[in-house]
Amino acid sequence: MLRFRDYSIPRKLTLMNMMVSSTVLLLSSAGFFAYDLYNFRKRIVRDLGIQAQIIGSNSLSALAFDDPHSAEKTLSALRAAPHVLFAEIYTPDGRTFAGYRRDRNESFPSPPSITAGSAEVSQFQDGQVALVRLVAVEGKPVATIYIRSDLEAMNDLKRNFTFIVAGVFLMSLLATIWMSSVARRSIAEPIVRLAETARIVLSEKNYSVRASTIDERNEVTVLISTFNEMLAQIQERDAALGKAHDRLEQQVQQRTEQLNAANADLEAFSYSVSHDLRAPLRHIGAFSRILSEEHDAKLDPDARHLLGRIQHGVNNMSSLVDGLLRMAQVGRTKLAWVATDLNSLLKDAIADLQPECEGRQVDWNIGALSPIDCDPGLMKQVFVNLISNAIKYSRRREIARIDVGQLQQDGMSVIFVRDNGAGFDERYADKLFGVFQRLHRVDEFEGVGVGLSTVQRIIKKHGGEIWAKGEVDKGATFYFALAPKGRSFAGATKAAASGQ
Amino acid sequence: MKHPGHTDSSQCRAGGRRSCRHQCLRPRLAAVVITSLLLGLSSMQGQRAKPTEYEVKATYLYNFSRFVEWPAKVTQAQSDSFVICVLGKDPFGAALNTILSDEASSGKSVVAQQIPTVQDAVNCRVLFISSSESTRLKQILTTLGDASVLTVSELPEFTQRGGMVQFVSEGSRVRFEVNLASAEHAGLTLSSELLKVAVNVRRNARLGD
Repeated sequence: MLRFRDYSIPRKLTLMNMMVSSTVLLLSSAGFFAYDLYNFRKRIVRDLGIQAQIIGSNSLSALAFDDPHSAEKTLSALRAAPHVLFAEIYTPDGRTFAGYRRDRNESFPSPPSITAGSAEVSQFQDGQVALVRLVAVEGKPVATIYIRSDLEAMNDLKRNFTFIVAGVFLMSLLATIWMSSVARRSIAEPIVRLAETARIVLSEKNYSVRASTIDERNEVTVLISTFNEMLAQIQERDAALGKAHDRLEQQVQQRTEQLNAANADLEAFSYSVSHDLRAPLRHIGAFSRILSEEHDAKLDPDARHLLGRIQHGVNNMSSLVDGLLRMAQVGRTKLAWVATDLNSLLKDAIADLQPECEGRQVDWNIGALSPIDCDPGLMKQVFVNLISNAIKYSRRREIARIDVGQLQQDGMSVIFVRDNGAGFDERYADKLFGVFQRLHRVDEFEGVGVGLSTVQRIIKKHGGEIWAKGEVDKGATFYFALAPKGRSFAGATKAAASGQ
Repeated sequence: MKHPGHTDSSQCRAGGRRSCRHQCLRPRLAAVVITSLLLGLSSMQGQRAKPTEYEVKATYLYNFSRFVEWPAKVTQAQSDSFVICVLGKDPFGAALNTILSDEASSGKSVVAQQIPTVQDAVNCRVLFISSSESTRLKQILTTLGDASVLTVSELPEFTQRGGMVQFVSEGSRVRFEVNLASAEHAGLTLSSELLKVAVNVRRNARLGD
């Protein structure tokens, strides 16, 4: 059963009205009834006293001349008083002088004793009232009258009162229900409608609905109009927000397009520059080789040394241009998604890098990698670059250790390449993947600073992420994960990193 | 219209009060006795023996005065005294004086007076004519004429002969007859209460006239 405080407002109003009116009615009825009863008892005693006095007065001669028969005739007049059950006259010496009974066979209790100095005593008892009155003539007692009456009249009164109260109660209940319906129309229903509107607004996120107004001027009206006003404001702000959002979106799109265009321009530029630089570079390389091969005898040691420097520079530039070209190509090529066996891809990459391990002791730890959807050509470049880096930077270790494997993080397959080489300072980790950005000097570890940048481009093109962890002289680990197709990769980076 | 209670009490009186107390004592009666005990004076009367015939008649003589109205000239002239006279041989003995002295306690001066001749009855309110005056009755009543004196006697046919109130015996009970015409002739008003308890009320004129 619902508790009262959980009742709906209309029900509460009706119930409260009913409770108030019934309480008032019951209390006032009880008051009236008590007052009536009190009055009735007073009246019945007074009437009986009067009757006793009349009997006494009319029996004076009968008493004076000892004529009980006459007194009985007087008493028999009580037949007219239907509630009087019994009456007796006693002489001052205590004799029963005359008597009257409505029902002959009934017996009655002895009269209540009268206190000295008073002329009358009455007593309510067993649904009857008994009254004893002393009749005196010139201060001398001549008789005692004992009279008993039933309280049928009082019962009638009670019965009538009950009927009247029940009737009034019923009427007031009807009136209450009618008045409650007025109150409901004016107070409860607008609030109920308001609550319903609020529910709709909240559940449907529809701020265009409005609570229906009422033709009154009170707090409820204020509540409704304020609520509607609030809705209007929310709607307005929503619209403004939407507009701002749209504008922003548009701007972002615009900027992205501009950026993409710029990027494409830049890529096209660097591609064509690198491409166009290759031919003159090849000429310089070819001619300097011819010079050193065919005219070596004519050169003095100084010229031979300079020629060697030229050839070294050409080689450097050539690898730089190649790198740039490859990187530019990553941007230009479309991904060819193929289910790829990464294990054989990795084997090929290591085989390609075998010359770089010449004369070195490398401890390889290759774990099994699960097949994946990717562009195999580009993925091989990723492995080649990362492993080449690992070989390069572990060069100073007597035994280089290179681990490649796979681990699970947040339902994502993460592939890692770890070495025990020079490592890096994590404060500069954000520079690792920048083009031409290097954390080591060229005379320590050769390189042009394009490799990791290319790797990052490839991973991002696959919708994945790459990150690195390391410490100076304690090696570095590169992690990358490819997002399953269509799935955003945001958030995986940090989780994966913190898992290390 | 006698109910059991009444019958009981009649039998009680017939059988003698004292002996009956034990036989007929019912709770109600006992309570009445207790009630009456509280009444003081009346309780003492309750202890008294059954009154004699002349004690009753003496009481009645006084009681008549309560239900009879005398003309204003009489009450004015005798405002300070109320005299009950006995003409002829006094049958009451001390009873009349005893009863009247009881009544005197209620503040009213009532005296009994023995008068030798009817001529002495001018100051009397009530005149009891003794049975000894039987032969002189006609003369007595003629002498009184329309004097406002309530005449009472136990002589037979007293009311027929022009007397106003006549004691009659009804078993052990003392009752009375009334001649209303005689009383009215004398300017006396008998209350209906008195007539109610009278055995017989004559309304014809006095035979003595």
